[in-house]
Amino acid sequence: MNYYLRRTLRIPATILAVATLTFGLIRLLPGGPFTQLRIQLLQRGIPADQVDARIQALQNIRPDAPLWQQYIDYMIGVVQLDLGRSISLGEPVINVLARALPWTVFLVVTSTVLMFVLGVLIGAVQAYWEGSWFDQVTSGASIFLMSIPYYIFAVIGLFFLSFQLGWFPTGNAAARSVQPGFTVAYIQTVLYHAALPIASFTLGGIGSTALNMRGNSIQVLGEEFVEVARLRGLSDNRIATSYVAKNAILPMYTGLLLQIGFRLGGTVVLEEIFSYPGLGYYLIAAVNANDYPLMMGCFLVITVTLVVAVFIADLTYGLIDPRISAGDSDAY
Amino acid sequence: MSTENQSRAPATDHSVEDPIIEVEDTNVTFNDGHTYVLDDANVSIDRHEVLGIVGESGSGKSMFASALMDAIPDPGVLSGKIHYHPEDGESVDVLELSDEELRQFRWEEVSMVFQGAMSSFNPTMKVKTHFEETLKAHDKSVSEGLEFARELLENLYLEPDRVLDAYPHELSGGMQQRALIALSMVLDPEVLVMDEPTAALDLLMQRSILSLLEELQAEYDLTIVFITHDLPLVASLADRMAIIYAFQFAEIGPRDDIIQNSAHPYTRKLLNATPNLDAPLSEMQPIEGEGPAPVNVPSGCRFHPRCELATAECRTDDPPLVSHDDNEHRSACHHWAEAREEIPLNFGEDSPDVGGIEATSERETSASVDGEEPLLSLNDVEVHFEEEQGIVEQFFGDSDTVRAVDGVSLDIEEQDLVCLLGESGCGKTTLGKTMIGLQKPTGGSIEFRGQDIWEAKRGNGDISHEEIRQALQIIHQDPGSALNPNDRVVNILSEALRHTHPNSDRSERRARMRSLLERVGMSPADDFLDRYPHQLSGGEKQRVALARALLMNPEAILADEAISAVDVSLRIEIMDLMLELQDEFETSFLFISHDLSNARYFAEHGDGRIAVMYLGEIVEIGSAERLIHDPRHPYTEVLRWATPNLDLEEMDESGPPLREVDVPDPIDPPSGCRFHTRCPVAREACREETPELQDIDGGDGKAACFREDPDHAYWDSEPLEGAKADPDAVER
Amino acid sequence: MPTEDEGSDEFDWRADESAGEVGFRDRLEEIYQHSIREPALVAWSDMRTRIGFFIVSFYVVMALVDVFGLWRNASPNQSMHRLLPPFQSLKYPLGTTQSGIDLLALIIDSTPFILLMVFAGGVWATTLAVLVGTVSGYKGGRVDTVITTISDFFMAIPGLPLVIVLAITLSPENPLLLGVVLTINYWAGLGRSIRSQVLSIRENSYVEASRTMGTGTLRIIRKDILPNIMPYVLVNFVKAARYTIFASVGLYFIGVLPYSGQNWGVTLNNAYYQGGLFTMQAVHWLLVPIAAIVGLAFGLLLLSQGMDRIFNPRVRTRFSGESESVEEADDSSTGGLM
Repeated sequence: MNYYLRRTLRIPATILAVATLTFGLIRLLPGGPFTQLRIQLLQRGIPADQVDARIQALQNIRPDAPLWQQYIDYMIGVVQLDLGRSISLGEPVINVLARALPWTVFLVVTSTVLMFVLGVLIGAVQAYWEGSWFDQVTSGASIFLMSIPYYIFAVIGLFFLSFQLGWFPTGNAAARSVQPGFTVAYIQTVLYHAALPIASFTLGGIGSTALNMRGNSIQVLGEEFVEVARLRGLSDNRIATSYVAKNAILPMYTGLLLQIGFRLGGTVVLEEIFSYPGLGYYLIAAVNANDYPLMMGCFLVITVTLVVAVFIADLTYGLIDPRISAGDSDAY
Repeated sequence: MSTENQSRAPATDHSVEDPIIEVEDTNVTFNDGHTYVLDDANVSIDRHEVLGIVGESGSGKSMFASALMDAIPDPGVLSGKIHYHPEDGESVDVLELSDEELRQFRWEEVSMVFQGAMSSFNPTMKVKTHFEETLKAHDKSVSEGLEFARELLENLYLEPDRVLDAYPHELSGGMQQRALIALSMVLDPEVLVMDEPTAALDLLMQRSILSLLEELQAEYDLTIVFITHDLPLVASLADRMAIIYAFQFAEIGPRDDIIQNSAHPYTRKLLNATPNLDAPLSEMQPIEGEGPAPVNVPSGCRFHPRCELATAECRTDDPPLVSHDDNEHRSACHHWAEAREEIPLNFGEDSPDVGGIEATSERETSASVDGEEPLLSLNDVEVHFEEEQGIVEQFFGDSDTVRAVDGVSLDIEEQDLVCLLGESGCGKTTLGKTMIGLQKPTGGSIEFRGQDIWEAKRGNGDISHEEIRQALQIIHQDPGSALNPNDRVVNILSEALRHTHPNSDRSERRARMRSLLERVGMSPADDFLDRYPHQLSGGEKQRVALARALLMNPEAILADEAISAVDVSLRIEIMDLMLELQDEFETSFLFISHDLSNARYFAEHGDGRIAVMYLGEIVEIGSAERLIHDPRHPYTEVLRWATPNLDLEEMDESGPPLREVDVPDPIDPPSGCRFHTRCPVAREACREETPELQDIDGGDGKAACFREDPDHAYWDSEPLEGAKADPDAVER
Repeated sequence: MPTEDEGSDEFDWRADESAGEVGFRDRLEEIYQHSIREPALVAWSDMRTRIGFFIVSFYVVMALVDVFGLWRNASPNQSMHRLLPPFQSLKYPLGTTQSGIDLLALIIDSTPFILLMVFAGGVWATTLAVLVGTVSGYKGGRVDTVITTISDFFMAIPGLPLVIVLAITLSPENPLLLGVVLTINYWAGLGRSIRSQVLSIRENSYVEASRTMGTGTLRIIRKDILPNIMPYVLVNFVKAARYTIFASVGLYFIGVLPYSGQNWGVTLNNAYYQGGLFTMQAVHWLLVPIAAIVGLAFGLLLLSQGMDRIFNPRVRTRFSGESESVEEADDSSTGGLM
């Protein structure tokens, strides 16, 4: 079977595997998946003999059915995008997720692009001025930045810029007073609220990106084809972009695939700190409320997002780098 | 043609009357002027000449190339004067040019072709873009320039559209190198500086490119400075030649003078050390020792530590580069007259070996003793690789099959010697690895003393797999990667003893290693045992690899181009060593090469056979003498043509006896005889029918060509397009 | 059988056997030279590694201080002063929290726990990655396909959310277990990049030479492949360790990891949620655990900067005073340092 077909088929396969894992994990949770719900239902005064029926109605799973039956029911639910009802929020999980997903994607995509662009620029300048004071200072700063987790930037930023100085909001994705829509006011408030989370997420990865780019560029600068290009009389700009930058960035693209995974996972902490209503925020909320359906829904959707992101990156890599033949399975 | 006339002109008349570049007192230094990597160069380059510059690796010859364009890499410092005299216009000193003037000067007046074509192209850009950006950078019309580029590519036997539209990695090495030559000529420069432009290619491609260069030079009135380590290669092209030794010019003069009447011991020894087809084998001599590093150049004449004519004068006084006969031929030696007398050249006169054909062919046939089981027996072996394809085809088509080896049968006797000869991509390495059980054949069988190797690996055999595994060893092409860089020599060699002498103790093992190391010429052995590979020279690494193979007590050793990465002056020495050890250790040798003269040296000395491979098949096999003096397959003839030759009479001949320069794609090999697409004497019959290996009349060995059968339909069919109608036209 | 085949050996193997005596002491000496002294010299020569070494040693000392009980344990109301700023009193050098807990004691208390966890996370992630990467890269074929498919699956799951779900299930309080849980799928990506390095290393002729000699797969991986990827592995060990710290503190901070007692992340959490955010007076309560985390990560990163050179034979020979290259090999008096 060929590479791209394999890649494409792997998406549903991975999602199926993750859904299975989710199903398994629910069963491993302390007290099982329904204890919490059963207690809540009982507290609400629902007769004990009707509780199972209610659970079935809410979660699409028959608690008394054999495990394989439950598994099939769960899978059918996943395929139909029916992930049950959130216990704590009292609405279908899929609705919550649909609301949260765009915010998370927005955060991750914007900050990752910013991190990549800025890091590449800094690293390239360092490589051109290799050994200068700028290079040395920046290298030191990069290592130091690498030793600070992104959520520390978040905490410090929140403490000084939001709480002490009051320059930035302390939570939420947009001001409640502004109607959502494609209006200047709404975009403004969204950017205003996202500024700090994006900034701290960007800072958190910029150090390693710059160091990588610096190393790669120095290597490419020593390549013969750069020397030949100079002898051919090409302008410095042309050499810097088409020769050095392009060949130095390409190997970093694969690292970016891994980065997306780490960063998507990292939103859990980031969104919690900024009370930013994305998937991570709801995941933590669900954990704290013992809201298993919501928790598992969040987990599943974060994973699916990652699978799709990696797939897109994978496909585009072959288009960007002519040397990667499609049959080459070590595209990572 | 002007060049023809020039190169034919009497040597004494040849003088630099119209120099295009004059290099005066030019130095390249490192370490704040303490280390010289080019020392006091004074050379003029004649307009429209081909100047061949020969030197060992690390002798400073590349520095000279870069100096001509004022392109010494940092932190090197270039000083002196390099005058450039354009045909019309002011003369300039290249070192005085401003940045912008220099930018225009490079590539428009003097351009350069580097050794590694692959590393000279931007891997992420199409070949066409390289041409376009060069034209734009020099404010030239892109459409006219591309038109010219197409013309150049066509002259280089390339399909312009296919090449321009490809990424560099999609082209073969030979194609890349020719595309690079076209790129260097796209601005129609006056001077082309070529730094080892063909070193990474196999001989046939090298020679083909050289003969194409000769045509280009004539057509576009080029001046070519051709820098190489390979003296015979450039000798066929050059009008004048210069020899660099240890960062200085040792000798310079007209080509014929340098080859027939050189006045420097180094040049003469270099000429004698070159394996070639005409020299009597007994007189090929290696040069002892190695060239010095820039940090410890000997005082006086730099060659004196390796020169048997050296006297006290040589140790103290640096001989100047002067003419001894009042002509253009200059050399830097105190004892130039003695050198001419004491060091006779070993080629030119008729080789006494020629008469021995009959006698040796008798010996050859007796090598395959009847009744005795062969050491290795290949029976219709096939090795096919699946190769996956580009992006679009991926979605639809299935993967393609590369037929690396296709139906080869061959017996290797005990203590036999077989050379596999062919171009790169002909499957010789794959066949070699299949022979020693490293590559599993996809068809046919391979037997070790009658035991199928791959059956034995599965555990059902009379001879155990371990025994077979130990019996078949390998020496690789690249000494750089043949030894684990993280292990000391002692550990590298111990690994072999771990297999052969699992119960011996440390001191016993060390004693074995020590005596063997000294045997392969590395003493004091204790010193070498404790070194890491990076502390060894290329030749020493190859000796360690040889010692490692021998410690396994092998029955057969595969030497995969084992000497092509070693300096020319050392090749004979290593080959001699291998031959001696073959005798002492009573092993068989499988020697893979693309160079007929090396294969000949081996086969003739070791009394073995040469098997010529083309696109996965053996097309001819026989003794070295017969193959060289009476080649039967047109392809063997082509390889013979490609082999370096110091005979001046034979040097200036026409282009390659080939209709195509490039080997066809092994994924879709030609029908019938696979050589018919390139064969100069191919006919319709060759396209339709596949020739089998058959015994030849009046000689030993076999050949797969219809021309061996006087009654074949071949003789009545039409010649293919471009092929010669007269079948004797190709015969020498 | 691989026995002495003297009959066919015209060559005299035992030319000078007596000179080949190598004593046990010499062997020990050799092992010390090649495995301890040389690497140490090489690593020490890099300034960044030296600084990193001092920083990491400082944390080890803190851990020892706690293990031997040389500083008081943290407990509420041990100081009368609440939110005492740092560097004001010798008794509480880093100040106190709102409930009067000595911050220095808080930091010291959790150092052994953190170090153990970091170590476990780093070792687990890198060992598994090396195992998976070398085997699948070197063996290729079906083994490779199976391993690659499995690690692809693990790579498709974002780390932290999986850890959160697992943490609820397993309630890991043991530092070693926690380290493993935190890096539960970290190995997948690392294994993947090790695999692609191994793919190119196995193309080296010397690997084929070992194969030709009949050397087994595991030995080839250990002798021919591992030393080549060790610099990379070492750097990534540090990266995995850094990830472990970052992930654990982050998760403690948002309160989804089970804990008994204090640690840096919990301290950060307390400072954050119990009012540290609102007043400048409590800023040290936030900054002290932050400094502890950043300091350890910084130390580890610096330490790793010069470490990769340990495995470079060129650098090693230079430091042990051996002749560097062939050219200099002639003046044999260079072995002075031995």
